[in-house]
Amino acid sequence: MPDTSTYYHVAYTIALAIYVLYGVSLWARRKRLREP
Amino acid sequence: MKISWLPVAAGAAVVATVIRAAFFTPLEAKQGAAQKIFYLHVPAAWVAFLAFFFVAVASGVYLWLRDPRLDRFAESSAEVGVVFTTVVLITGPLWAKPIWGTYWAWWDVRLVSTLFLWFIYLAYLVLRGAIESPELRARYSAVLGILGALLIPFIHLSVYLFSTMHPLPIVGKPSKPSLPSEMLLTLMISLFSFTLLYFAFLRSRYAYAVERDARASRLEHA
Repeated sequence: MPDTSTYYHVAYTIALAIYVLYGVSLWARRKRLREP
Repeated sequence: MKISWLPVAAGAAVVATVIRAAFFTPLEAKQGAAQKIFYLHVPAAWVAFLAFFFVAVASGVYLWLRDPRLDRFAESSAEVGVVFTTVVLITGPLWAKPIWGTYWAWWDVRLVSTLFLWFIYLAYLVLRGAIESPELRARYSAVLGILGALLIPFIHLSVYLFSTMHPLPIVGKPSKPSLPSEMLLTLMISLFSFTLLYFAFLRSRYAYAVERDARASRLEHA
């Protein structure tokens, strides 16, 4: 079996980082909107 | 502080899915660990198609009823769809490199048409930012939202119509899924979790659009 774990780790890290950053950006945009 | 259950449930479901995929799902014999990218790539593609399908439906109904809520819904779903398509376009090449020996092939219709879909909805978001009149913005973007979604059946069928490196569907096909039961269960859990994440993002993005428009209306009348 080939060792392809680097690709697997990189893919999971980037994909999950994109979801987390998007979630944070949504929260930050709504928070900024509520500021007077 | 009010805690919304949907993002919490979606986040927990995604974490549980990643743990199951990483530690409780067997390695595929030929591809090794890279095959586990499957549990991110396929659900992201499913959610992207679902998101753009909703954009097209909401846009079509908007052109009929002219209800701004439908325009906000389409806008929200398009943005979330672009996020999931971005994940598809990143995880796909990272899976392709160790298996096919290359990150990308410009002659492959499935790959290029998916990139094209991403550009269309990116253009949709840019178009929305470029038009000031809310009615014009909603009307023009509704047309683009509908036209863009016409690519979805083409992308799905492209693996049957053209020569491609991309594998044929192993689950969404007329015959039974050809996947060991443990892997199939992980995929089903993953599809559920990322669909839940889509609805959590969609609800939050829609709430943002409502608050933004209400604020703009208040400032206009002040």
